Amino acid sequence: MTEKKAKSVNLSITNPRVFEVIKMVISILIAFAITFVILCLISKNPVNALVTILTGPLTKKRYIGSVIESFIPYAFSGLAAGVLFKSGAFNLGGEGIFIISGISVAAVACNALTTSHMLHPVLCILAAALTGCILMIIPSFLKAKFGTNEMVVSLMLNSIYSGVAMFITRKYLLTNTTSTIGTKDYLATAKIGYIYEPLRISPCLLLLIAATIIMYLVMFKSRLGYQIRLAGTNPKFAEYSGISAFKLAIVTAMIAGTLCGIGASCQLLTQTSFYQPDKSLVGIGFSGMLLSMLGRNNPIGIVVAAFLIKYLEQGTSVLYFVDRAIPSEIVAIVEGIVILLISSQYFLRGFREKKLLKEGLEKDAK
Amino acid sequence: MIGDTILKLDKVTKVYPNGTVANRDINMEFEKGEIHSIVGENGAGKSTLMKMIFGIESPSSGTITYKGQEVHFQSSLDAIKAGIGMVHQHFMLINSFSIVDNIILGDEPTSGAFIDRKEATRITQEVSDKYNFELDVTAKVSSLSVAKKQKVEILKTLYRNAELIILDEPTSVLTPQETEKLFVQLRQFKEQGHTILFISHKLEEVKAISDRISVIRNGVSKGTYRNEELTMEQLTNLIIGRDLESDLEQFKTHEDFNNEKAMIVNDLYMERNGKPALNKISFAVKKGEILGIAGVEGNGQLDLIRCITGLEKTAYTGKITICGKDTTGMNIKGRRDLGMAYIPEDRMGDGIAGPLPISDNMISTYYTRDDVNKGMFMDNKAIDRISDELIETFAVKAENNKVSIDSLSGGNIQKVVVAREYNTHPKFMIAEQPTHGIDIGSAEFVHHKLIELRNEGVGILLVSADLNEVMDLSDRIIVLFDGEIAGYFPNARTVTDQQLGMYMLGASHQTEEEIGGALND
Repeated sequence: MTEKKAKSVNLSITNPRVFEVIKMVISILIAFAITFVILCLISKNPVNALVTILTGPLTKKRYIGSVIESFIPYAFSGLAAGVLFKSGAFNLGGEGIFIISGISVAAVACNALTTSHMLHPVLCILAAALTGCILMIIPSFLKAKFGTNEMVVSLMLNSIYSGVAMFITRKYLLTNTTSTIGTKDYLATAKIGYIYEPLRISPCLLLLIAATIIMYLVMFKSRLGYQIRLAGTNPKFAEYSGISAFKLAIVTAMIAGTLCGIGASCQLLTQTSFYQPDKSLVGIGFSGMLLSMLGRNNPIGIVVAAFLIKYLEQGTSVLYFVDRAIPSEIVAIVEGIVILLISSQYFLRGFREKKLLKEGLEKDAK
Repeated sequence: MIGDTILKLDKVTKVYPNGTVANRDINMEFEKGEIHSIVGENGAGKSTLMKMIFGIESPSSGTITYKGQEVHFQSSLDAIKAGIGMVHQHFMLINSFSIVDNIILGDEPTSGAFIDRKEATRITQEVSDKYNFELDVTAKVSSLSVAKKQKVEILKTLYRNAELIILDEPTSVLTPQETEKLFVQLRQFKEQGHTILFISHKLEEVKAISDRISVIRNGVSKGTYRNEELTMEQLTNLIIGRDLESDLEQFKTHEDFNNEKAMIVNDLYMERNGKPALNKISFAVKKGEILGIAGVEGNGQLDLIRCITGLEKTAYTGKITICGKDTTGMNIKGRRDLGMAYIPEDRMGDGIAGPLPISDNMISTYYTRDDVNKGMFMDNKAIDRISDELIETFAVKAENNKVSIDSLSGGNIQKVVVAREYNTHPKFMIAEQPTHGIDIGSAEFVHHKLIELRNEGVGILLVSADLNEVMDLSDRIIVLFDGEIAGYFPNARTVTDQQLGMYMLGASHQTEEEIGGALND
C-alpha cells in the first residue's frame, strides 16, 4: 500500500521539486526574452542572432569540440563548490586552489620525471589533486577549530595563493622567452592527448564523467553524503545526532580541493602549453560557485549547467563572427538573469502560495 | 465604555506557504475593557491568529477591524502604533540592558540628538508605579526573575500606550503562586479600561480570569461564550471534541528491575559566567522508572541536559554514568552508543533537519547501524521500509516518507522524533519537554509511548516545565531551583502542585539527607 503512495507523484506546482523545475524553465525563458529585446536594439536581424546563439555551436565540429573541452574544468570547479555548499560550508577558496594547484601541474609537467606519455599527465594530476586536497583544508580547519569566518579566510587565501603562485613562477619556473609572466613550456610527455580529436574528446572528459558519478553516489547513496546533507541543512541537528562537525568539515574540504586540483590539471594540460598564474586559470574557481547555484548543488545538475553555460558562450562567439555589432559578452546577461531569478526566494512564490491556499482549502473542506 | 467593540475579525483565514491551513473563516469580536480568553489545543491556531492581530503575519483572506476601521498591518510596528501590545511566550528582552533601556528601545524620549535618560527613567518609573509593578526600573534585566521579566514585557506594552494587550501563554513560565499575582494585575488593567486577550491551554486559569472565552479547534472558531455559561466539561468538550485523557497511572506496570541504575549523576558542578549554574547535583535514574525534573525554566535544566547528553563534555566536574559506564570525556556519539536516547526540547532546532524528507530524519541517530546500510552505501530501501513502519506505528500523518518534515504539524514532527529515538532501542532516555507545543492527541500518544518504554525497563529522565506532565508521568520527582536540587519526592503520586510550587520558587529547601534519596533510593 505504501508503495502505491510513493508512486503517485504530485506534478503540480505545489510539489517543491516540480516548483524548482518550473522556476528554472521560466527563469531561462525570461532571460532569453530580455536578451532578445537587447538584440532587437543592437542587431538588424535579431531573430537570426538569437537562432545563431542557440544553434551556432552545432554548426561546426570545431565549435562543439570547443564547448566539450572548455566546460570540463568549470564542471570540476562546480562539483567542488557543490560539495562545500551542500555541507553548509561557505568556503570560497576554489579560486585560489585552482591557481595554486596550477603550480603543481606546471612543476611536474616541466620536469622530466618520466618519459611515459601515459604516466606523466597522471603524475601532474596527482600532484595538483594532492595540493588542492591539503590546502583546501585550511579555512575549514580554522572554522571548525577556532570559529573563524571561513568566507573571509578563504577569500584572503585566494589572494595569498595567487601571490604565492606568482612568486614561485618568477623564482623557479620562469621562462625567458615571453614578456608575460609564465612558466617554461611543459614537456611534450605531459600533454593530454585526444581520444577523438575532431570533437576534442580527451581522457579529461572520462575523468569528469567518473567524478560526476562518484560525487552522485557520495551525495545520495553514501553515509558521508547523508552526513553532509544533515550538517548542511541543520548543523545543530547533525551534532545532536552524533555526527562530528570537525571531521565532516575536513573531509568535505579535502574532496573539494581534490576536485579543484583535477580541474586545474585538465585545463592546463589540454588547453595551454605553459602556465601563467595570472591568466590560465583565473575565474574558474569563482564560476564554480555560480554553477553550483545553478545546478542546485546536485552533481549532475552542476555538470549540465556547466555544459549549457559554455554552450551559450560558444553560441555568442559564433554570433560575433557573423555580426560584429554584437559583443560576445551578451552571454553574461543571460547568465546573470538566470542566476538572479533562480536564487531569488520570492520569484514565483506568490503564485505558488495562491495555489497552495486553494489546495489547502480544498483538502480542508473534505 | 464597556460593550464597545474594539476589535473585530471577519472571516479571517491564514494558509501558510507549506499548505497548512492555520485559521479558517474565523469570526470574533472583542469588547473594550474585557478579559477575553482564546483557548484551544496546542496547534489549534491560536498563535497564528494572534500574530495576524499583531501584524506579524497577514491574513490570506478576511478582514480585521480595529476601533471601527479596517486595518492591514504591515508589521508589528503598525499594530503597536495603533495601540496593540503583545507579550510573547518567549520574552523579547535584551538581558544586558536595564529595564528602562529595554522599555524605551525603539521609542526613546530624546533631547537633541541624544536619549534623554532622566526623562526615560522618570516616565518608565511613573508607568510602573501607576500599575503597581513594584519594579526598580534601573535594574538590569539579567538580574530579574522570570516573573519580573514578564512584568517588564507588560510594562513595555503599557509604555507604548497599548489599549489591547495580547498575552501569549503567559502562565507557562510561572509557578502557581506567581500566576495568581499576575491575575490580580490583569484585573487591575481591565478596571483601567484595557482589553486583555489571554491565550492559554490551561483551562482552570482561563475559567478563573476570563469574562468571555472563545474556542478554536483545528483552526476553526467554535464560538464565543460568557465564562459563566460554560462548565469545565463543556469547555473541554469544545476544545478537543471529546473527554479528557484518563489517568496515566493505570498503564504503568510494576516489574522488578532489581533497582538497577540506567544513569547516575554524581556531584555535578558547572559554572557559567563565573557563577555556579549547576551545583551538588546527584541523582540516579533507575531502569523501568520515569524520574521527573520539575522547575521553572532557566533553573539549570538546560545545562544539566547538555552535561548528561555530552553536548557539553568538558565544562563540568563530577561523574555521569550511563548503563554502568563512566562517560567522562565522551561525546554525544559515545553516550548514544551506550544506550542513551534523547528527545530534545528544541524540536525544530536540534531534533530535525526541516527541509529534508521524513526518511532522512527517521534514522539520523542510528544511520551507521547495519539494518540501514548495505556495504559501502546506505540501504535506501531498508530506510524507506523502516520509515514507513515507524510512520504507521507512531500514527504520523504524512502522505509518504519523502515529504519534507517541516511540512508536518508540530505534533507529527514530534512523533517522528520520538519514533526515531524509540527505534534506537535505548536503555536510558532523556525526554526534554516531550509534549511542548503539540496537540493533545499527539501529546497523549507520546505519553503512552514513554510509559511503554518505561514498562519495558528503560530508565527515563523527564524534564518538563509543565507541572501536570511531570506529576502525571513520573514515578519520582526532583525539583531544580537555581542550579541545585531543592526537593526530592520519592512518590510522585502523593505530591501536590502547591508543594512543588514552593520548592520551584525557592521558598522551601530540603536537607541534604532528604535530597540524598534521589541518588540512593
